[in-house]
Amino acid sequence: MTTDQLERDLRTLAEPHADDERVHRAIRTTLGEQLHARPRRARRRRLAFGSAAVATAGLAAAIIAVVGTGESGGPASANAAILAHVATAISPPANMIVHVKETGVLGDGTQVGVEWWQATSQPYAVRLIKGPEGQAHEAAADGTTSYEYDAATNTVYEHPNPRQPTLIDPVENARAALTHGTAQVAGTVTIDGRSLYRVELPRGVVGYFDRSDYRPAYIDNPQGDGSIVRTEVVTYEELAPTTDNEKLLSITAQHPGARVKTSPAPNKP
Amino acid sequence: MEDGQIMEMRAVLEAPAVRARAGDPDAALVAAALQTPQAFLALYDRYFDRILGYVRLRLRDDSVCEDVTSTVFTTALAQLRRFRGDGAFAGWLFQIARNAVRDVQRRPATVPLPDDVASLQPGSLEPDLEERLLAWERAAELQALIRQLPAKQQHLLALRYGAGLSFDEIAAIVGAAPGTVRVRVHRILEQLRRRYPNDD
Repeated sequence: MTTDQLERDLRTLAEPHADDERVHRAIRTTLGEQLHARPRRARRRRLAFGSAAVATAGLAAAIIAVVGTGESGGPASANAAILAHVATAISPPANMIVHVKETGVLGDGTQVGVEWWQATSQPYAVRLIKGPEGQAHEAAADGTTSYEYDAATNTVYEHPNPRQPTLIDPVENARAALTHGTAQVAGTVTIDGRSLYRVELPRGVVGYFDRSDYRPAYIDNPQGDGSIVRTEVVTYEELAPTTDNEKLLSITAQHPGARVKTSPAPNKP
Repeated sequence: MEDGQIMEMRAVLEAPAVRARAGDPDAALVAAALQTPQAFLALYDRYFDRILGYVRLRLRDDSVCEDVTSTVFTTALAQLRRFRGDGAFAGWLFQIARNAVRDVQRRPATVPLPDDVASLQPGSLEPDLEERLLAWERAAELQALIRQLPAKQQHLLALRYGAGLSFDEIAAIVGAAPGTVRVRVHRILEQLRRRYPNDD
């Protein structure tokens, strides 16, 4: 065996097939559909999961599961196109502010919810509200300062914190799930009158994505006791970074009458 | 002139200088696609053969190769805004392909015989089918040897003999000097040659 022969054999492995033109057209069609399905960027309703560091534990589990990766399975080309649409639909563009609200009910009947606003460009300033009505905890960070709001005393506690908030980018991981074959389209379902793609994600998580615009609607999260907690994505908005919208990132702007103390918030019992 | 060529020309002419990286032959098309996503199809047309060849050198099953190729481009389209332009577009695209191939290779391998070979009954071999079976076996053997190589070496081989890239092009993708790439590929060939003793 000479090197030339080996090189020839190697090239033979990859030589074009008679029906490559068909494959080329099929993928081109898929890309064309993907391009046509791309929603408008402004005020598109999509899912973007924000700062996991401050998300509630239950919802954080859902978030991690949705954006996580696994090791098995693989989409067929048609399903790959749907999954690609989903990946696009959960891609937050830069220089925007995303507003997301999710709600769910834990196995013991506890209502959980999280709502946040986050800039999609550095330093990823974020304001987040979690917990049930009346007991909600509100916090914010902008890369230089952390803030907490105490509704009981109408006080904002601020202290220097140069740690930049984290923008959890679902795209990176969704892409991994796509390319790793760890996301699978498992048919369509109707929930509350909405026609949805059922997408199986790693770790038993199931996402339901709207068939019309691929935005997420629900997430089923398996719990340790075998139960399923369903989270509803109530709101996703992408907001232009106007002066008014940027106030949504600021606790002091949201509570202009609050006292401001330069110290960490006192621990609550 | 074909639609793809017209689109490519228009895209280049109309593209603003967005994230254009000096020396990247795809910079203008990438800029166009960032501005007008439809222009991504020109990039697709440009790279379809090379990506499919790359994948075929590393994976055996035709339908899997097609799926992976599809995934590479749908992923690239979905992620294009993530491409920062601080490396060559080709490098970014082949990295997507590399990851996609790696993920398929992690699964248990199932390599179906070609339909006409799989349906053969003992004693029914016609001369041309016998030749095809031998060629299939030879290809399968070579591909099995390739899969035993470290992933980096598989990547280099696939860029060279699957995608058909020049040493200069590969060098731009892997961030090494062309001479270094040439030497590395030569070493890989020598390794393969020692393990692949077919002399017919």
